[in-house]
Amino acid sequence: MELQRLGVKLFVENPSSLEIRSFIPIFHSWIQRQAIEGHLLIDIHDYSHVYRGPGILLVAHEGNFSMDRAEDRLGLFYCQKQPSKGSLRNHIQTIFRTALQACRLLEEESELEGIRFKTDEVLVVANDRLFAPNTPETFQQLQPVFREFFEQLFDGNEFTLNHRTDPKERFSVTVHSPHSMDTQTLLERAQRA
Amino acid sequence: MITTWKEKLADQIDPALAQEIDVFETQIELRRQGKMEEKIFAETRLRRGVYGQRYDNGQRYDGVRTQELQYPSADLTKGPETLWDAPGMQRIKIPFGGLTPDQMDVLADLSEEYSDGILHVTTRQDFQLHFIHIEDTPLLMRRLAATGITTREACGNSVRNVTACPLAGVCRDEVFDVTPYAKSCARFLLGHPDVQDFGRKFKVAFSGCKEHACGLVTMHDMGGIAVKRMEDGKERRGFELYVGGGLGAVPHQAKLFDSFLPEEELLPITQAISRVFARLGEKEIRSRARIKFLVAKLGIDEFRRLVLEERKVMPEDPRWMAYLPEVRKYQEKPLKRSMSLNGEERPEGFEQWYETNVYQQRQEGYVVATINLPLGDLSAWQVRGLADLARRFTGENVRITVEQNILFRWVSESDLPDLYRELQGLGLSDPGAGSIVDITACPGTDTCKLGIASSRGLAGEIRTRLATKFSEMDEAVKNLRVKISGCFNSCGQHHIADIGFYGTSRTIGGRKVAHFQVLLGGQWEENAGSYGMAIGSVPAKRIPEALDRITERYLKERKSGDSFQDFVRHIGKKELRDSIEDLMTVPPYEQDPSYYTDWGDPREFTMGDMAAGECAGEVVSLLQFDMAAAERLVFEAQLQWDDEDYSKADELAYNAMLQGAKALIKTEFLDVSDDPDTLVKAFRERFYDTKLFRDKYAGAKFAQYLFRRHQSPPSKANKDDARRLVEEAQLFIEAAHACWERVANRQASDPSIDQGVPSPTGG
Ligand code: SF4
Repeated sequence: MELQRLGVKLFVENPSSLEIRSFIPIFHSWIQRQAIEGHLLIDIHDYSHVYRGPGILLVAHEGNFSMDRAEDRLGLFYCQKQPSKGSLRNHIQTIFRTALQACRLLEEESELEGIRFKTDEVLVVANDRLFAPNTPETFQQLQPVFREFFEQLFDGNEFTLNHRTDPKERFSVTVHSPHSMDTQTLLERAQRA
Repeated sequence: MITTWKEKLADQIDPALAQEIDVFETQIELRRQGKMEEKIFAETRLRRGVYGQRYDNGQRYDGVRTQELQYPSADLTKGPETLWDAPGMQRIKIPFGGLTPDQMDVLADLSEEYSDGILHVTTRQDFQLHFIHIEDTPLLMRRLAATGITTREACGNSVRNVTACPLAGVCRDEVFDVTPYAKSCARFLLGHPDVQDFGRKFKVAFSGCKEHACGLVTMHDMGGIAVKRMEDGKERRGFELYVGGGLGAVPHQAKLFDSFLPEEELLPITQAISRVFARLGEKEIRSRARIKFLVAKLGIDEFRRLVLEERKVMPEDPRWMAYLPEVRKYQEKPLKRSMSLNGEERPEGFEQWYETNVYQQRQEGYVVATINLPLGDLSAWQVRGLADLARRFTGENVRITVEQNILFRWVSESDLPDLYRELQGLGLSDPGAGSIVDITACPGTDTCKLGIASSRGLAGEIRTRLATKFSEMDEAVKNLRVKISGCFNSCGQHHIADIGFYGTSRTIGGRKVAHFQVLLGGQWEENAGSYGMAIGSVPAKRIPEALDRITERYLKERKSGDSFQDFVRHIGKKELRDSIEDLMTVPPYEQDPSYYTDWGDPREFTMGDMAAGECAGEVVSLLQFDMAAAERLVFEAQLQWDDEDYSKADELAYNAMLQGAKALIKTEFLDVSDDPDTLVKAFRERFYDTKLFRDKYAGAKFAQYLFRRHQSPPSKANKDDARRLVEEAQLFIEAAHACWERVANRQASDPSIDQGVPSPTGG
């Protein structure tokens, strides 16, 4: 299997205090300073008018970042659009590192009044229906790699992987851990994992 | 194990289509290796619907500076000034807007995997996906092909999507269902050898009746309106056929080619028209290459004669007639039995939605439900949800519309409350379809390379403001149509709205300010029966107020039964301009910087490196003053045209261009004569020959408007020519503004340019 495009969503803990369009100037400032490592940030798109849509989108050559409102849950969704090299294990590490770096940057933004991201629940998406159709077989195949990565990410603490089985949606799993930590700690672990 | 979409879908794709996509994939590889010329590759990809997108030249103003975007493939290009890695747009043709649920599912998947999770419905019944990488396009095409969709000829100098009334087949007023004709015509023209050598695109539309707007036939390169005729006691079907219409910078109403073209002649005459256009249409000057210019040049009678001559010599093609039995058999099947809306429990909000979004089909008990899409956008999740609803309520009967909405046809009326509840769940139950809140907007500066101002930003702002008061609005205002384009090219169809806007820019104190030109009195009805005229340019940030003032005045001062067009005629454009004139003033940046950003974009609208010295500042003021005089002259020309004094309109429009030219000349040489010959000569030498007036995209066409009128004044101005000259004068003045901005930028970065221009008229 050559799954090369993955996505990850980290949910905002305190969404009600945020106005979706307040992310627009912030993303512009990220482009000004090309704030995300290994990414060429290109443009911003306002989809705030789309119900439960991608909200505010920051387009990079390597993938899209969005303050996404799918399922009525605000979160930072990072989704690869370029096939990445290396093993699946590396891809997972890369997407987590990138998404967590973006979350950290947002948490540091004074304009966002204390936005915080949850670390006890994440959504991992396979952005490729050819290599990862949403089937139990794909889950079986991917599970061992996912488990190995999350064991390291959560430092050996327990977690659960739930396969979301709607066959029309992309393959995805929700990862729950009873232990919450700050994004900086998780980022450091993602870098080591 | 299957590792490619090509293998996986091999037996689901038409072999010819599969081969075309394989060839395109090879061409991508050849271009990547530098073995295919960039211009040829550009036209090749355009003909596959693979389009450029804003910033694809690798430069983007980030609010502080213009960044060079450092893509991995560096200088490799996919067309002139179009970088290989820069994300682009994929246009997907949906002939007559007809979609199946399975196709919707695939479109949703593609938007997630290769785009940004959004499908955008265009004003010509296409879909667009944005931020696509060129390497992904063959995969995307194969997946579409497996559901019967081709992107072939979605862009480029070819026959674009064939559109038709979205109500065709269920409309209460139609003469007959044009769907199978649109379908056959699209199929016949796709890849036809006679349509491969056009100088520009060619758009075709069909309409089921003359009175209503849905097909917008008269604004198309070619369009057919369904008509029937009794001959020898037998009813015959045919088309009132029009050619040479189009919006674009200078709109043209199509000319009547034939008041009754029998159905058997539809395809051969279309082919003959294509041949004449390919043979005689302009190829060099892009801005004059649409068929409307050929028809205007030859005159409709000569054009018709040439087409009929061509028809006589064309070799017979069995396909001309082969489709007719299919036409007769064509019938859509409803999924469910029809039932009237009776005692079903009605959810909250249902009545209002029902009033504006539901249309009673001519087939009793069935209705069409319009799903009103904000800015024509919907998410992959919504598309999948709609596909499931279509399977439950309508079967295959889904269409997208030129007003950027989706229609569910053949819905049993008794299902409406359930459908409405489900749409609420998808966030797609907004009322107001076809009303003032249902604003059409082109992509504008969001993604279009030619966009000047943010049409979508403005549309979003107006929609949000109006939605809060929609339920209390008077019917007369509710029924107005607003359409917005990001520039004069009119992809947002601003000419045919009651109130239309198109993006322009002005330089104030050395900074750029987004503006929109306001157009009033266009007509959506009668197949885009008439086009609106500009009354003045208003800063983008004051447009919502301008709209309020115009609609309030309409409400207060219209006479009973007055349409908006009647009202504009009664009150007069001058009065209407006066009522918004105070909104046209832009305060200095220091006083209110909000004017200097566009809707939805916090970046300063002006170029960051632009700076005006004191001297330049004075000249700019003088220029602004002179340009305002030129604009006033165009406006007066419009008023004269309205009063049917076409000679005066022509004269004033010409004078407006002279005044605009003079304004520019005065920036270099104050003591300018008023003599037209001297002015045109000076303008030619200082701004045309030096290429200063050349627009990066439009070239020198705006200057030609002045030269042409100067060289060949009409012996007697007629309605159409005067109208065209007024439009051209408006564009000339916009171009003069843009020219000055370019000159000012150059002077700011290199003051020596100031002295560099020769001064042959003695300056
Ligand atoms: S009208 Fe102008 S801005 Fe809008 S899509 Fe067309 S070319 Fe682009």
